[in-house]
Formats: sequence, C-alpha cells, structure tokens
Amino acid sequence: MKAIDICLKDLRRNITNAFFLVFGLGLPLLTALLFYFAFGGLASGGEDFDLPAVQVQVANLDQGIAGFSAGQLIADTLRDAIPDLVQTSSAVDATSARAAVDRQQAAVAVIIPTGFSETAFASGGRAAIEVYQDPTLTLGPGIVKDIVSQMVDAFAGSRIAVTAAREQLQSQGIDPEPATLQTIASQYATWSAQLGEQASTPALFEIQAPPASEGENAGGMASILGLIMAGMMVFYVFFTGAASAQSIIQEEEAGTLARLFTTPTPQSAILGGKFMSIFLLLIVQVVSLVIVSALVFKIPWGDPLPVALVALGLVVMAASFGIFITSFLKNSRQAGIIYGGVMTVMGMIGMVGVFTASVPGADNPMRTASLFVPQGWGVRGWQLLLEGSGALTIDVLVTVGVMLALGVLFFAIGLLKFRKRFA
Amino acid sequence: MRAIDLALKDLSQIFRDWKAALFLVLMPVGFTLLFGFVFSGAGGGDGDPRLPVGFVDGDDGRPTSTHLLTLLQGSESIRPEVWDRDDLDAAKDRVAAGEWAAAVIVPAGFGDGALGTGEGDSPRLIIVVDPASNAGHTAQAGIQRAAMRLMSATQAARLTANAYQDQGETVDQAFLYTTLERAITAWGDPPLQVITNQSGAAVEAASESEGAANDYAHSSAGIMVQFAMAGLIGAASILVLERKSGSLQRLLTTPISRLEIILGHYLAMYAMVLLQLVILVAFGQIFLAVPYMGAHLATILMIVVTAFWAASLGLLIGTVARTEEQVIIMTLILMLVLAGLGGAWMPLEFTSEAFQTVGHLTPTAWAIDGFENIVVRGLGLASVWVPALVTLGFGLVFFALAAWRFKFE
Repeated sequence: MKAIDICLKDLRRNITNAFFLVFGLGLPLLTALLFYFAFGGLASGGEDFDLPAVQVQVANLDQGIAGFSAGQLIADTLRDAIPDLVQTSSAVDATSARAAVDRQQAAVAVIIPTGFSETAFASGGRAAIEVYQDPTLTLGPGIVKDIVSQMVDAFAGSRIAVTAAREQLQSQGIDPEPATLQTIASQYATWSAQLGEQASTPALFEIQAPPASEGENAGGMASILGLIMAGMMVFYVFFTGAASAQSIIQEEEAGTLARLFTTPTPQSAILGGKFMSIFLLLIVQVVSLVIVSALVFKIPWGDPLPVALVALGLVVMAASFGIFITSFLKNSRQAGIIYGGVMTVMGMIGMVGVFTASVPGADNPMRTASLFVPQGWGVRGWQLLLEGSGALTIDVLVTVGVMLALGVLFFAIGLLKFRKRFA
Repeated sequence: MRAIDLALKDLSQIFRDWKAALFLVLMPVGFTLLFGFVFSGAGGGDGDPRLPVGFVDGDDGRPTSTHLLTLLQGSESIRPEVWDRDDLDAAKDRVAAGEWAAAVIVPAGFGDGALGTGEGDSPRLIIVVDPASNAGHTAQAGIQRAAMRLMSATQAARLTANAYQDQGETVDQAFLYTTLERAITAWGDPPLQVITNQSGAAVEAASESEGAANDYAHSSAGIMVQFAMAGLIGAASILVLERKSGSLQRLLTTPISRLEIILGHYLAMYAMVLLQLVILVAFGQIFLAVPYMGAHLATILMIVVTAFWAASLGLLIGTVARTEEQVIIMTLILMLVLAGLGGAWMPLEFTSEAFQTVGHLTPTAWAIDGFENIVVRGLGLASVWVPALVTLGFGLVFFALAAWRFKFE
C-alpha cells in the first residue's frame, strides 16, 4: 500500500512535469509533424507529394537537316513531357545556359550541340548532349536526364540498327545498297515511333509492385511516418525512463530519501513504488503516442494484441534500462553526460535502421547493427508491425521476448546496485 | 576589457565540464558520419554506389538474357545481382525487404519472342518495383533504359534478317544472334550520348578524392549548423544561474556597465560556438575530404556569421528562460525545429515546395546554403554573400531582442 502511495505521488509529479510533457510527448509528435510537413502532407492533404518544378535552360544549337531538327524535337518533348514538374526556357547559347545554373536560377541546363541532327542521320560521327546540373540536386536533374536519354537513345538506336545491318550483311558477302539501309532506318524509325506513342511502353514491360506496396497500409506517407514515429517513440521513451529514474538520485541528494528510510516503510516498498511509477509513466507515454499518432497521422500500427505486446516489451525494457543506467550514477551532475551523450548515441544506433530504411542493400546490415543496443530491439518491434500489416508473427513474438528478457536483466542489475547503495 | 574577463570566466565554467564539451564535438561527428553514410547510398556492392537490382533469368540463359545483363551492368544508376532462383514471389519479397531497389525477371520464351523466332507475341519483361520510392523510380528508369536498348538491338536483328531474306537467303538463329551481338556491342559506346557535368569547381574536388567529398558534404554542413545550437545549453544555463543566484545584480554594483555584462556573456557563447565550428570544419576537411578549404575565405565568413547567429540565439534563450530546465527545453525544441525545417537532416530538395519556402524563413537554411555553396557547388566568396548577410540579419535581430529584454534580476 505504501509502495502504491509512493508510486502515485511520483507519477503525479512526473506526469505534470514540463519536462515529460515536452520531451515525452511533445517532441516525438513534433518531429513526426515536421516530417509529415516535409513530405507534403500538409501541402497536399493526402498521399501525393508535390515536388517543386525543375527549372531547365535549354540551349538548342542544332540547326536541323532537311527541315527536321532532332534537337528541336528533344527540346519540345522536354517541355511537354511533364509540364508541372519540368519547366523549360530557352537559352541563346551554352554559356548563358550554364551561367543560369551557376547562378542557381536553373537546376539544369540541357545543351544540344550544333549538327546534332546531321550526326543522328549520318553514317558516321559522334555527338553528345550535355546535361549541366546543380550538384546539390538529384531528383530534378535525374528526371530531366531520363527524358533526354530516352530521346537520344531513340535516335542512336536507328544508327546502331543501320550499322549492325551493314556489318552483318557485309559479313555474309552482301554489300547492301543505300536504299536497303534506308529502308531499315525507316522501318526502325516506324517501330520506335510506335513504341513512343505507347505511354511507358507497356507493350514491353509489366510493372509489378512488391508485396509491401500492395497492402493498403503500406507505402506512402503513413509508412514513412510510421517508421519515423517508431524511432522517435523509442528514442524518447528511453530518455523518459532514465530521467524518471534520476529522481531517486535527486531525492538522495536532497536528503528526502534518507528521511524516508528512517520511517517504518520498508526500503523495498520505497524503491518498489518508485520503480512502479517509472513503468506507469512509460505506459502513459507509449499509449498516448500510439493513439495520437494513429489518429493524427493515420499510422497503421496493427492489431491491438501485437501492438500491446510490443508496447509492453518496450516499456519494460526502457524503464528497466533507466533504472539500470541510473544505478551507476554517483550524482545528478553525471546525469547530463549520460542523457545528453550516451543515451543520444545509443538512440542514434538504435534508429539507424529507420534512417536507412529507404536505402536498398543498406537496410539489413544497418538493422542488424542496431540490435547491439536495446533501442534497436524496440525499433525492430514497431518496424515488424508496420511492415507486416500489424500481424502477430513469430518475429514479433521473438522480438518482444528479447525486449522482456533484456528488461528483466537490466532491472535485476539495477535493483542489486540500488540495494547495495542504500544498504 | 571587463567584458572579456567576464567571457573568460564563462568559458572556464563551460569547459570545466570537459566531458560535456567533448560531446558537442563527438555527437555532430557521429551524426555527420551516419547521415553521410545514408545519403551515400551505402551498403553492399563492395563500394559500388549504384542501386542493387535483382536479375532473374527464366529464359534458360538465351543470348537476349545475357545481353540484357550486360546492358544492366553498364548502367550508371543500377548494378544487377544475378539470382539463380526462378521464383517471382521470392524476388518480390527481396524487393519488399529493401534488399533490392527493383528486380527484373526475364520470362520463359522472352528471347525467342523478341527475335520473332517463337510462337505468338513475346512475353513482357517483368519489373518488380515500388515506383513511389525514389530508389524504385531510379531503378525502374535504369532497367527500362537497358531493356529498351535490348529491344532496339533485337529489332535491328529482325530488320537485318528481313533484308537478308529479301536477297533470297535463309535466316537461321545464328544469323540473328550475330546481328544482335553487333548491335549490343554498338550500344556499349553509342554514337549519340548524354553526358553530365556539374556546376562549379566541386567537380574537380570530387574527382580528386574519388567522390568521397560528395557523400559527406551535405551532412557535414547540416549537422554542424544544427549542433552549433546544441552547445548553447551550457552557456545559456550559466546566464540563468547567475540571474537566479543574484550574481548579475551584484555585478551591477561594480564598475562594469550593463552593456559590458551582456557583451561578456555573449562573447563567451560566441567563442564557444566558433571553436566548435572550427573543429568540425577541420574534421570535415581532414577526415572526410569535404572541401571547406576550397574557398577558405568564404568558409571563414560563414563560420563567423553562423557563430554570431547561434550565439545571439543563445543569449536570447538565456534572457527569456527562467530556469535551467527551460533553457534545455527551449534550446532542444529550437534546435530540432530549426534543423528540421532548415534542411539539416535531409536536403530540402527532397521536401515539398511549401516546406522549402517555410524552410528559408529560418537561419539554418541560409547557413546551410552558404556552406553548401562552398563544399557542394564548389563556389567561392561571391556565392556566400547573400546567405551570410541573411544569417547575420537573423543574428542581429536575435541579439537586439536579447539586449532589449535582458533582465538582471
């Protein structure tokens, strides 16, 4: 009963503490909100992502041949392909186009050289279109380069077809007539034009989505935000656990703990009450964050049972870790370096899988590395739920098991250290 | 002179807790390495930064499959990883798990269909990809480009075969394969190409260090600007402590003027942030090959104004906050918000247009712009005047507000 009184007193004080409200609840949600805003959630109000238009300077120096300009066709295609995303303007020469990029007035300059059409339809010679870009940008220049490359490949393909045909026929002892090669070029152009008319060339490819993108809960804003929210939740729950456990040291320094030990209340009840308040505080924090993020950001955490299990594992592990790490502190001055440094570095390592989630090939090694710290297991629990549509899988159960086991271990060590300290 | 004495006293207090000060350097270094690693597209490929793409050949190793693999290997953006399991679902799982950015599956009968030697239409190549992701979009573009070149080569082979037949000759499979090979070889060095050049002198710097500079350039600048604010906790706390303990009031009974007191505390914050920035710039230059010294005057200017702005913010926090707890809360919230909005964590290029506009209402975005002009764009002093002036302007506003609201009791 005494333990519950102490627990409730501590809990009441912690819950109304500005530190808990700001760090425990405010900052995780604020960070998620920032990312929500960053990826266009507020701008578009949905799953769409509004990329700003890419400004492109086109210096078309190609004069064309026989009334046709391949350079002009490329410039027109670039202008009309995705007008909302790629906005072109003409430059008088290559120097001014490059200068616009240097002055950051344009993201990309496309420089089509003199005689490009001539080279495209000649039997010899080479030509190159220059894409000159701002090195700080990747998305916009990438899109522009894709469009230009497709067009250039279409022209190059015609020449390659004619060259390959000539060489092959000659190897068979036939010296092809110019008219024969002209026919091949013409037929190739017809085939190429037919392909170009089909949007995204569906006749050649069949695009299939991976399983994670097929489910209604995966992909898009909710998936990105879910991962970020999970990382932030774990990061700050560990902070809260440690900061709450610090109250034991603070009370020791203030002398109130020593006074409590002189009362008839057993030491185990005093420490038990304080430990209980840490667990309850973290339950309040995790439940609040899960509910608010699900309502505000529509994060699909999953079915209630697996969510409850992962939350329980996280709370037990984080609270015990707070008790464990605080038991090593000699005074509250040391808390600054532990919370500011050690906890931040461990949190970073634990969240590394969140940062690399969108980097193919880096994801698995990074996730494995994150499991060297307890925070990594917490992130893994939520990540498994988000990727598995919230189902209770063996992986989820194993992860919860590891979190509980770590929690018991941390708690046992912390308890022993505190008992020894106050003996 | 008295202001300098006061600043030296503050600095000795700050650096007395040398372990905490150490973290002001170690933490940004750690974050720089982490974010640099993420944005370099690291992870596997033996240092090959191209996106991994699964290649599954279900067409019994026909020349078309082999040539497609060759074309994919020649891509600038993707690197194929051959998978010997003809299992579409398993390939999809690997894409879903993030092990591959995409997977391309060559179905049975594809080669014969493409060359017109099979029955019926050619089955289509299957590309497993999430086009909504940046990596997926890039991978899809790379695969389609390679596949289009293959289809172009098969078309060349078919047209050549038609021309050969028109001469009264008989076309066999070897004829088609030889023509196909000629066309694929030609695609290895096509007569018409697209070349990419980057603005500024950064190209030369990057090529000299084999691209290492680019991997860390953004994270080095962004994280450095973010952690310039983290160091303010200790310095602003001293101000709050002195106010709470009455030290500030006692100082007023001495010959030191009010302005000297404010300047003294401000100078301590300024010196601390300046030292932190110098150490981080030196670390970036020496260990990560981020070319800060490519335009050393521009770098010095940006360091000076960034420290000015951050220290002014610290003075303002120390003025407004009433307790040490408030100092920590205000500093960390401002640090997270300004860093997030200003593009310290991820380049603003990846964010929405509205976010970019809002981001440039913060000093962090301008400070990062200035540093990026130097280390990413490879530009010089002329390119940082505007970012430096805007950053300086924010600093002046914060300083004026702090001086105006400064309380001694």
